[in-house]
Amino acid sequence: MAADSRIERARARARSAKAVIATGTLLVFGVAFVGAKIHAPGHAKGNAKPLDAPKSFKRAVKRSIAQGGQIAPAVQVPPVATSTS
Amino acid sequence: MNVHHFQAMGCEIVVAGAEPAAVAAVFEEWEDAFSLFRPDSELSRVNRSTGSVVAVSPLFARTLQVALDVAAETDGLVDPTLCGKWREARLGGRILSRPPGLALDLNGVVKSLAVDAAAELISDDGFVSAGGDIAVHGAVDVALPHGGAIRVVEGGLATSGTASRGQHLLDPRTGEPSDSPWEQVTASGSSCLAADVAAKVAFLLGAGGPAWLDEREIAGRFVARDGEIVESSHWRGALACT
Repeated sequence: MAADSRIERARARARSAKAVIATGTLLVFGVAFVGAKIHAPGHAKGNAKPLDAPKSFKRAVKRSIAQGGQIAPAVQVPPVATSTS
Repeated sequence: MNVHHFQAMGCEIVVAGAEPAAVAAVFEEWEDAFSLFRPDSELSRVNRSTGSVVAVSPLFARTLQVALDVAAETDGLVDPTLCGKWREARLGGRILSRPPGLALDLNGVVKSLAVDAAAELISDDGFVSAGGDIAVHGAVDVALPHGGAIRVVEGGLATSGTASRGQHLLDPRTGEPSDSPWEQVTASGSSCLAADVAAKVAFLLGAGGPAWLDEREIAGRFVARDGEIVESSHWRGALACT
């Protein structure tokens, strides 16, 4: 009986050790997996940003390109003329 | 208002309100960088370069970026490559990359940009005109093709067409001289550049020119080949509301 009891306790300790090792392995793998996903070089953390001018600047330039000036009726003799060159 | 005249960029420069020598220096700087007739200009050197990547000056980079923006805004009607390949020219900072042999012609924006740069020298009221492309500081009355005049209150005024040198405006869509029904198109803009671009596009679009200007609330005046004058709705409105 005593021998059986010692064998049972040894098996229980072995099962516990296996569970601890399996859990630890899974934990280490999971941490490494998540860490690699987050920190591995070559993997963007966020969306890629273009290196050219910001869109707000481009919009301002486009507005300026396609924006009319202010004109009114002439009131005196023009000192200059517009024409094709 | 003292008005000064001199020649630069192959056309007459008219200046009021700024030191003529300083204005002449601005035009010389731009001509030195962008003239296709000067073998040692930066543009000539870039066009001679056989490499696909070339470093350019800050002035060149800024100007080319404006030219590419204008090409995008006008769907390539004002095209710095003159052959519809402006999308193949890419600029990253001061590094220009384009297919070897793709020549640039920045004349579509250089003169008006030089006018805007020279107009920055006006101390009080005045104007700068290069071949009839004008930027003002303070209100200036301007004579129009085929008679008449308007007051430019703010921004610029430019005229594009075939009147003085025949059919010199190429249509990038065909690569041929434009067959626009207009002889001259005058447009106002928030700057001389904006006015020049609007006048060129409205000219090249032919019968669709007035509608293009109206969509953008730009005032424009068209002189047809038979002398008939057509005004965009914003041109008529600006002259009628005061």
